[in-house]
Amino acid sequence: MSDAEMHAVSIRERNNVQVRGNGTKPMVFAHGFGCDQNMWRFVSAAFETDYKTVLFDHVGAGKSDLSAYDPAKYGSLHGYAEDLVEIGQELRLRQAVFVGHSVSAMIGALASIKAPDLFESLIMVGPSARYIDDGDYVGGFSAPQIEELLTFLDDNHLGWSAAMAPAIMGNADRPELSEELTNSFCRTDPDIAKAFARVTFTSDNRADLPKIKARTLVMQCSEDIIASEKVGEFVHTNIPNSKFVQLKATGHCPNLSAPAEVVAAIRSFA
Amino acid sequence: MERQTLPREELEDLYENAPCGYMSVQPDGRIFKANATLASWTGFQPEELHGKRLSDLLNIAGRIFFETHVAPLLRMQGFFSEFALDMLTARGERLPVIANAVERRDPDGNLLFTRFTIFKAVDRRRYERELVQARAASEEARRDLATTHAATEAVLKTEREIALLREQFIAVLSHDLRNPLASLSAGARLMLMAKTPEDAAKLERMMQGSVSRMTKLIDSVMDFARGRLGGGIALGEKLPFDLEPVLSQVVDELVIDNPERRIEKRFELTELVVCDRDRIAQMFSNLLGNAITHGDPDQPIKVHAATYASSFELYVANSGAKIQPEAMAQLFQPFQRGDVRPSKQGLGLGLYIAAQIATAHGASLDVTSNDDETRFTFIMPLTR
Repeated sequence: MSDAEMHAVSIRERNNVQVRGNGTKPMVFAHGFGCDQNMWRFVSAAFETDYKTVLFDHVGAGKSDLSAYDPAKYGSLHGYAEDLVEIGQELRLRQAVFVGHSVSAMIGALASIKAPDLFESLIMVGPSARYIDDGDYVGGFSAPQIEELLTFLDDNHLGWSAAMAPAIMGNADRPELSEELTNSFCRTDPDIAKAFARVTFTSDNRADLPKIKARTLVMQCSEDIIASEKVGEFVHTNIPNSKFVQLKATGHCPNLSAPAEVVAAIRSFA
Repeated sequence: MERQTLPREELEDLYENAPCGYMSVQPDGRIFKANATLASWTGFQPEELHGKRLSDLLNIAGRIFFETHVAPLLRMQGFFSEFALDMLTARGERLPVIANAVERRDPDGNLLFTRFTIFKAVDRRRYERELVQARAASEEARRDLATTHAATEAVLKTEREIALLREQFIAVLSHDLRNPLASLSAGARLMLMAKTPEDAAKLERMMQGSVSRMTKLIDSVMDFARGRLGGGIALGEKLPFDLEPVLSQVVDELVIDNPERRIEKRFELTELVVCDRDRIAQMFSNLLGNAITHGDPDQPIKVHAATYASSFELYVANSGAKIQPEAMAQLFQPFQRGDVRPSKQGLGLGLYIAAQIATAHGASLDVTSNDDETRFTFIMPLTR
């Protein structure tokens, strides 16, 4: 095996990259904090007839290679953006459509600034350029609240490792989910999850927004306590070539709670 | 046999007053049904809970956790069991709970509503937090232990190295004593055969030379032993001396032994110096001997001694290879012989004894070394 092939295997395995679909135009889906590429399970399938869909897990999540986790590299969103650019190079993607949920909206933005040919358009689902309030800027959270979250994740530490596995394994009526979820969720290292939470909720990408060249769709949910409408409007206002769409779906995860609405919004833009 | 009359369990009462909280939540996150137990735990009237968003009952951390972990898993697998949450009561107090949730779906799999069962978990959560803290403490203790272990290993390594140096020291000492002893033995035999008083006198000078080499070696070992065991080198009586003739004599002695070496000396001694004269001479001799051994033989050695308003300063500087930083740290330790030809090796006590003499005088002995020169500087405060 040549060096190039070794490298190829390692990037695909590192990020558990899954390529599907019959189309030629690529559409890349990126998950946010708290889950893995399963977040897109009800959305990505709808694009498999017309697109080549690309799904992956960020390092530290799902079925990614945990041994590739480097605290220094992934101490900022740029580390995750570098991985995304490498996935694009590995799959020879050009002018792809990027669909990023939550913090991955900003990871996609950083990747498109680093590699301008990679994405022709960015679709941001529930994006926020900064979660912590700063002067006149309303992010929705105070710094102590974010610290409280990090402590709270410790509280659910035991819940994850001890109680989650049997609960998921007992999922007899939908066996197709059992193994998949057991493997992905039980393998998630709580320390990495906590580090990703810190990187996510202390990130500040306000200065990056004006640098985005790709046409962008900001998809805003209703009653989203993580990324409020003010936050979404800020993102929209500061990205030069962007469009704003308000979803009826409530909560932070419309890709799971209202997949049909998300699919329609992507179709009308992409 | 008479049958006992069992009390009837009313379903409505079972729901409302069950020993756990129940609530049902619409797909938009609003509560549309909750039981009396949950209402009483949270301090709300049951009708106040209706229409409230579930997130309104959670603290910020709980809301983020719910949105990023609980809600996605519920959509994917239809249920989620045993997750920890902090609920907020009507009075704003924190109520730690453990919750289970199950989605109710229509035949097409569309979400109708989600049922939650809430268990008070004040003690359990406290216990779990203690477990987390205990694990953190044990992790810290493990790290401390690893640090201590590493430190012990380092000490052990140093001790092993010192033990090795001691062995080498004994080997060098035996070797160095054997040579003059052999000379003495030979001298004694030759003395018996000496034909003229001149021959005998020549032999006697040779034998005196051997004796003085052995005396120096033994003195060094004694000084070392005193320095190590007796809390420093003992000084003789300290008196005011003009040090110029003392230092000059040391230079002259070493020039006789090393006629090929150039020594540039400069003395500006305007004051008498209160010190142990012999010890200062010994220290200077060690420093100068060290410079001859390690310095570039083609370059002169510079010696400068001067008295100032409140100090006596003496330096010895030589050209040659710079002392490596790792060697610098060990320079004044006993048995350090440096990287020199075996024929030039001594006991490795010279600089150690020099430093001990400086300490005994309340003085400092420092070294600087770069590519241009290596310089040992002795600075002693003058007492009047």
